[in-house]
Amino acid sequence: MDHVRNRPVTVLEPPSWAAVRPLAALARLRQFSDLLLTLSAHRISVRYKQSRLGAAWAVLQPLAIMVTFTAVFSLLGGVPSEGIPYGLFAYAALVPWTAFASGLSSATGALTGHASLLGKVSFPREILPLTYVVAAVSDGAIACIALAALMAWYGVGLSIDALWAVIALVLLILWLVGTGLVLSAIQVRHRDVGLAMPVLLQIWMFATPVVYPLALARGKLSPGLYFLYTVNPMTGIVDTFRRGLVLHTGPDPLALGVAAGVVCALLPAAYLYFKYAELTMADVV
Amino acid sequence: MSDIDVRLEGVGKMYRLGTRRSADTFWALKDFNLEVHRGSSVGMIGPNGAGKSTVMKLLAGITAPTAGRITIVGALSALIEVGSGFHPELTGRENVFLSGAILGMRRRDIAARLDRIVSFAGVERFVDTPVKWYSSGMYVRLGFAIAAHLQPDVLLVDEVLAVGDAEFQARCLARIRELQRDGVTILFISHDLSAVEQLCDRAVLLDRGTTIAEGPPDEVVSIYHRRSTAGQRIAVPGDDPAYARQALKLTNLTFHARTASIPTTFRTAEPLVVQVRYEADERLDPIRFELAFYSADGRQLHATLESVETVAPPEGIVQFEIPLLPFQPGAYYVGVVARDARTSHVLDWWDGGSMLHVETSGKASAGQIFIPHSTRVLTIGSGAAIKRDSIEFDRETG
Repeated sequence: MDHVRNRPVTVLEPPSWAAVRPLAALARLRQFSDLLLTLSAHRISVRYKQSRLGAAWAVLQPLAIMVTFTAVFSLLGGVPSEGIPYGLFAYAALVPWTAFASGLSSATGALTGHASLLGKVSFPREILPLTYVVAAVSDGAIACIALAALMAWYGVGLSIDALWAVIALVLLILWLVGTGLVLSAIQVRHRDVGLAMPVLLQIWMFATPVVYPLALARGKLSPGLYFLYTVNPMTGIVDTFRRGLVLHTGPDPLALGVAAGVVCALLPAAYLYFKYAELTMADVV
Repeated sequence: MSDIDVRLEGVGKMYRLGTRRSADTFWALKDFNLEVHRGSSVGMIGPNGAGKSTVMKLLAGITAPTAGRITIVGALSALIEVGSGFHPELTGRENVFLSGAILGMRRRDIAARLDRIVSFAGVERFVDTPVKWYSSGMYVRLGFAIAAHLQPDVLLVDEVLAVGDAEFQARCLARIRELQRDGVTILFISHDLSAVEQLCDRAVLLDRGTTIAEGPPDEVVSIYHRRSTAGQRIAVPGDDPAYARQALKLTNLTFHARTASIPTTFRTAEPLVVQVRYEADERLDPIRFELAFYSADGRQLHATLESVETVAPPEGIVQFEIPLLPFQPGAYYVGVVARDARTSHVLDWWDGGSMLHVETSGKASAGQIFIPHSTRVLTIGSGAAIKRDSIEFDRETG
């Protein structure tokens, strides 16, 4: 054994906010980066095991919702779709939305689903929800292939505004990480979170401009309500993604600005909360 | 050697019994202090619920203490069975990488040790088979082998001897000794007291969350023995309460190392005296006193059947003298039955507080029993008389 090397000193104390050392936690997370990679790869490879359609499900889920809403809205007389076919309009938003929804619901159960591991081995617990985020984003990448095919079909190309979609994607991942950390940690103590998840996500989808344009909400809501509407970062994220990719316009400054602000404020807070909850997680899971 | 790698200061851990805030609380560990010097091995012993596993969980960082402060110098890992992290669909090889990563190993380090891990677990032929088809033994061995190939500065070992068969346990012990030679600081939990005596420089006896004793392992183990002997009632197999209350009553059973001396420690190959006190209502003759020894798992190891006595009122002592204790170190149950020698009718029996803890003696021996023996080397050819006296197995001389 190498005695010359500097030995790390670990101090373990009763749970308190002071006992949460975010920089040390991040350094430890880096140390375990191979676990994040191995576990994420494993997550992706077992995701569609024993299913006939396999990875096609990544495309089918948003596609099915898109077809449903296309049918429903064409019966109801249609919804404005900013000058492009409604199917493409809706699908371009459903790709980030589905990645978020499936990522959040699977990340929420990440810790409770590995209870025996939590009681036995010590590793940065955030890795568990993070692997589900990686898996959801990789599903989103597959869904993007179908989006590209749809764009080609309708003759919609790419413009420089697509870079805005990349920014939206980064925000989406950060937001997913933040919410996944918080909800998975709460789920350890209160399983209500997981039970509320399906209905929460359904309401959340309608509170986000996924199957209708942002302009519709801006036109119908009072300024105060509209601001609240944009505090939901998914509004800015989904709208920016769709505009940049298929509408070839820049983002709505307010929607994107608020979304970026909320995401950047939440993420550090979420990580601190998670590391605080982690201290006694094994006792209650 | 004076560096302290592990230090616990006033450490406590409280659990809530129930989920509500008002739920009752329970201290699994209370004001616990411990210092472990670099390169030393400390064993923690104590009954179930003493708080040993809580100490391990706190040190491993699985959960935070409720009070106090723990300081660990160096990379710490736990030698535990990590099969719970296995995915049944993945092959043995894939699971080694997955579990190794959970334990904090780098991919390239796991790759470098893969062959050693697999051969340690003895699953070379099945390395590319999904672990769902492994036998439970293979599963556990592989889970353990991964942890055994970590290279920590501080190692926690929790009940290593409960894993696998005898051969695998021997391999685990050899691995622990190897790590000791490398200067790894070790904290060792085991119910196997002789393993603690063999492996550790120091032992700590815990009970109900507090330290009872700390010091050289043999001393601490013998304190543990004396504590657990006191006030423990174990039913001897074959007892039947229907025989209660007869003309003869056994009231007490005590162990003595030598006649009439106070109870001390009992060692393999040393004399043991068992005294049974009785009360009798009348003169009884003939009475047969049977003394039986049982292993910890309840098998009868020996029963004396021949001691026929006359019993006189009001009370007296029956003394069994064993010139040489033939048991290896461990715990044994002792029972005494008094019968009417003519009818074999049971008059009374004794099973209370009669646990005999045998400790290791200076004589080197192994196995389940101790056989009195001596060893000589005979030189063939020099002493013809010796050769003629012995039984010949050699065909040439036949």
